[in-house]
Amino acid sequence: MVESLPLAASQHADPSRLVVALPKGRLLDEARGLLAQAGYGLLEGDNGRQLVLPSAAPHVRYVLAKPSDVPVYVEYGACDLGIAGLDVLREAQRDLLEPLLLPFGYCRLAVAGPAERAGRPLRLEPNPRVATKFPRLTEAFFRQRGVSAEIIELSGSVELAPLVDLADLVVDLVQSGQTLADNGLAELRVILHSQAVLVANRAAWRLKSQAIGAFVASLRDRSSVGDRPEL
Amino acid sequence: MRIDTQPVQELSPHAQWPLPQGVVDLVYQDAASKRELETALRGCFRAWSYDELIPPSFEYADTLASEAGTQLAEEMYRFTDRDGRTLALRPDLTIPAARVAATRLHDQPMPLRLFYIGSVFRYEAPQAGRQREFTQAGIELIGAGAPAADAEVLALTVEALRTAGLAQFQLALGQMAFFHALLAELEAAGPALHGLQSALDRKNPADLAAALDQLAVAGPLRRAISALPELQGGPEVLARGRALCVNDAMAAALDRLSAIHELLLACGVAEEISFDLGETRGMEYYTGITFKGYTPGLGFSICSGGRYDDLVGHFGRPQPAVGCALWVDRILLARQRQGWQPAPLRPDLLWQTGACPDCLRLVGQLRRRGLRVELDLGDLDLEALRARAAGQGAPRVALCAGADAVMLASAGAAPRRLSLEQFAGEAATW
Repeated sequence: MVESLPLAASQHADPSRLVVALPKGRLLDEARGLLAQAGYGLLEGDNGRQLVLPSAAPHVRYVLAKPSDVPVYVEYGACDLGIAGLDVLREAQRDLLEPLLLPFGYCRLAVAGPAERAGRPLRLEPNPRVATKFPRLTEAFFRQRGVSAEIIELSGSVELAPLVDLADLVVDLVQSGQTLADNGLAELRVILHSQAVLVANRAAWRLKSQAIGAFVASLRDRSSVGDRPEL
Repeated sequence: MRIDTQPVQELSPHAQWPLPQGVVDLVYQDAASKRELETALRGCFRAWSYDELIPPSFEYADTLASEAGTQLAEEMYRFTDRDGRTLALRPDLTIPAARVAATRLHDQPMPLRLFYIGSVFRYEAPQAGRQREFTQAGIELIGAGAPAADAEVLALTVEALRTAGLAQFQLALGQMAFFHALLAELEAAGPALHGLQSALDRKNPADLAAALDQLAVAGPLRRAISALPELQGGPEVLARGRALCVNDAMAAALDRLSAIHELLLACGVAEEISFDLGETRGMEYYTGITFKGYTPGLGFSICSGGRYDDLVGHFGRPQPAVGCALWVDRILLARQRQGWQPAPLRPDLLWQTGACPDCLRLVGQLRRRGLRVELDLGDLDLEALRARAAGQGAPRVALCAGADAVMLASAGAAPRRLSLEQFAGEAATW
């Protein structure tokens, strides 16, 4: 049975009910355990294709969104809370609260280039072509160094770009570095250390402060603020 | 589901791009609702003895940018006059109000109570009912520095939002004086301070800790700043804040909030207002309280205000001042999402008078009574008139039926022949 749209008005007016945006994919798999421990586990539908899912807590519902869309859902208040990677958040530059860092989704956004590339500093590149899914962060990184880079925005498999001479460099997420190595690329510079973040809508933060406070506290209790693992 | 298969109307070459991004045409219900809300707000402001200010739409860019803060200055629409001077469309109405108070009204008895309702223009991404041209309705209380002035503006803001018909709303009240007194201990400036404020604004505890590390802040000062994101909620927040004070200015800022809270209780608006001492964002010109309002169904703020004691003095004689602006377009959108139903736009009566002077005289009487009477300018017969009225939602039609007689047909009833006197008698009950 599909629970479709009653997410709208009534859900938003009732200050005890929460809608939480979760990012489909890798981050969601890592989030499941923590949410379950906190008493807000996802209750899966039988076909795995539903985009709105109930949780173990009757007043909380989840919306499964594309990771880069999570900040949008939350900024507009379509969802009260969301889980997103810091990389996605900083790229999106949406106006959100970030009350809690979550202990998963560790990776880094890095500049990478051909492994055989000579060791000259990036800032001596006159006009490098850089392929990325993160055009804003990439542009800011090069601009801060006074380098006028040509940003080539792609939506996936960025490491392919240097292989076919579409770009000189790439800016992409790195977890183990294996994908880069497999494609003859080496990490040159880290732009951002990323991990999962709980984000909140500014209006919901005021209007649903009790429900949100309880949700945040429950997740915080189960997210020991340990050091980020060495990557 | 009905799918609209109408072809798009062919546009004339003059209208290929009819409108730039960020401006809208309002017609029918949308225009009526907006004007009706503005009228209600105007009535509310007047009842609190505020007088209307109508400033110009554009001024010298330097005047508008001087204190507006860098963010607002970046978003201004600028253009030049024929002498080459740079002008700008107003991005805000507080700055023109401060200019008028300092330059033209400085010798008037204080305090001044001013309100405005008008468009402002900002080059920003259209978002949640707010275009690049959007409407602000606001109040400014100038020349009054007491907590009672802060409380009056807060209470009037609550009253205005109630008048607007919002089902539920909350104002989050912060105190820049508390935060500034805390910052004074830091002697920090530049990027590190910016990082600290940005972390506080996002309530990001990890970034806040990193910023404090960078500034090498420790001891009670660190404890106080780290606690800021948690200092939100009911009046008990003030007691918690007191335990963190590291100087007299911080204690004084809290005393002031306590005094304001007492007054809000007395005004019966304390329920709608919560405290957030970690709210440090806003226009750069705020020096005391700051607040933002939120309502269910809209993820963005619907109003914003605060105390700006240094702004008026920028243009002339200094005056303490406090004010608030409501985002009219967002309030309209929120109200609609909360199920607010606008009054229908329809004539009360559709009348085929021809050139009959008796009918036309009666039409005039009904209109002066406030009824919406629409004349049929053609020569529709009774059936055609009724069909037209049904399409418009008009509840009745009338047709001149010779000397001293009118055919009246109410929706769903048989037409009746009435004398003008009978007709006037019946119309008195509508």
